[in-house]
Amino acid sequence: MTAAGIALDQVVADQPTAASATWTAFRRNPLGLVSLAVLAALVVVAVAAPLIADYPGGYGPAVLTPPSGQHWFGTDNLGRDIFAEVVWGTRISMLVAALSSALAIVIGVLVAVLGAYFPKVDTMVGTVVDLALSLPVLPLMILVAALAGPSLATVVVVIALFSWPEVARVVRSQALAVVRLPYIDAARLTGGSWLWIIRRHLVPAVAPVIVVSVVLTASRAVLSAAGLAFLGLGDPNSWSWGRILYEAQQSGAMSSAWWTTLFPSLAMLALVVSATLISIAYNDARNPRTREN
Amino acid sequence: MPPVVGFVARRLGRAVLTLWFATTITFLLLRLLPGNPALAVATPNMTPQTQAILLRQYGLDEPLLVQYGKYLWQLVQGNLGVSITQSVPVTDVLLERLPWTLLLTGSSLLVTVAVGIPLGVLAATRPSGLLDRLVQVGGVVGQSVFVPSVAIALLFLFGLQLRWLPIGGAYSPGVYGGQWYLDVAAHLVLPCVSLVLVQLGSYVLTLRATLIDSLGEDYCVLATAKGLPHRKVVWKHALRNALLPTTTLVGLQLGFLVGGAVLTETVFAYPGIGRGIYEAVTQLDYPVLQGAFVLLAATVVLANVVTDLAYGLLDPRVRTQ
Repeated sequence: MTAAGIALDQVVADQPTAASATWTAFRRNPLGLVSLAVLAALVVVAVAAPLIADYPGGYGPAVLTPPSGQHWFGTDNLGRDIFAEVVWGTRISMLVAALSSALAIVIGVLVAVLGAYFPKVDTMVGTVVDLALSLPVLPLMILVAALAGPSLATVVVVIALFSWPEVARVVRSQALAVVRLPYIDAARLTGGSWLWIIRRHLVPAVAPVIVVSVVLTASRAVLSAAGLAFLGLGDPNSWSWGRILYEAQQSGAMSSAWWTTLFPSLAMLALVVSATLISIAYNDARNPRTREN
Repeated sequence: MPPVVGFVARRLGRAVLTLWFATTITFLLLRLLPGNPALAVATPNMTPQTQAILLRQYGLDEPLLVQYGKYLWQLVQGNLGVSITQSVPVTDVLLERLPWTLLLTGSSLLVTVAVGIPLGVLAATRPSGLLDRLVQVGGVVGQSVFVPSVAIALLFLFGLQLRWLPIGGAYSPGVYGGQWYLDVAAHLVLPCVSLVLVQLGSYVLTLRATLIDSLGEDYCVLATAKGLPHRKVVWKHALRNALLPTTTLVGLQLGFLVGGAVLTETVFAYPGIGRGIYEAVTQLDYPVLQGAFVLLAATVVLANVVTDLAYGLLDPRVRTQ
């Protein structure tokens, strides 16, 4: 090996990887770190729900009592502890968000990447995505959820079914730019199959966009699931944040007892705001231009 | 063919395509889902003969393609079927409710634009100022909030605690004449403000970003250099161009706005289509749910056509694309 070659290796080795540079920049953003902590705390609550509070099932004698030392978030119209409802609701709400966004991401990325690689497919993909995005999605979700019957699986599938076009739109615009780059042509010239090129070269190149999409789709899924639950289309057998609000509205408790709606609303807000801020901070950290200052 | 005609034709063609898409997926979903209407109509304790008669009556025994053709033909005629619970045409049920939804969404759009433009201008002209920071925080929070949470908070505070505004419905019974308009306006305030609060954030953030871009462009630098007052550069030169992408955003978010209206109407018992959807859900009235979606989709598509055409008139570049 020549001296120049060794020197080049040295330089390449000293260069921080893109991921570590992003992480270094991310760590310097206090808002991003706080959001990450909030999200982590919510995940812990979701996982450890049985350790934190008993399942809110039994009716209690203390009906609609305001927050106190015994019931931190007060009780609902049937005397159930709202703190326990919110804790167990965290579990279901985050599970629904994670599952439906995972499903939406898989469909959306697949459609977007295939479309970007095969121009013939892309015309159709572009049209379908544009059409789907211009429709009012919530009424459509309501229709499907009502027909399929309320259950956890219904909610997950319905949300995924109508969230992937947004993922496809974002990933597609990035993938279309990447496909035109010379290294993809080079990969093609080496005789690689389209599957290999897409898997090894196209998907990694759009991975950052996918990361942002995961976070945003999941947080939007929380709101969609809550919307369905609020209209009575959630799973009636498990607690979610939307169901707490739905029951408060159904029983009329929301007009007399502010605590029945405030705490689940705050939990939802904390999750969605922190997810949004994380995606913003990640985008800033990834972008060398904003990273400098 | 003059370019304007082509432009209008393209936009109309697109609108028709969107509507066809919306109605077709509705049809397919209704027929393919586990709880399909045939099962909804026929209960297991009916005799097979009664089931067959019922299915024939609803046209559900015919091949899928024939059903699809009939469905489209009925839609073209404005026939959305018959409500299961009320036994009246779905079109009648919904058209009675549509004006309230249009009033709610239309007024919230107007207020959003009327408040959003000055806010966006102030934030963009003093970047990193106090107001700009507030706008950025408010933008993120506004996009993240659950619509019923805002609606319930407003209802609790201004309707129940302060008793400034009515807590539900769209009008009080027994009020007529000039008083009626005031009454309707008073009932509109809280639902409208709920929707404004959730969409103002993204509007202001987009306007702010595009306005900062516009202000950095050569023509704005030139306008400042030739001695035009700053106020004029911002309002007459930069804002005009910045408003165009912002208007497109409003069009794109109409579907989201309609979803917000459904939830807001549910909270305030506002007699629009959204509340109708809520009631249809509790009664499992599928034809109404289907009709509501088709009608709302049609409204959104129509509103998009109108904004597109207005956009084309305002900006000659769009027409030639």
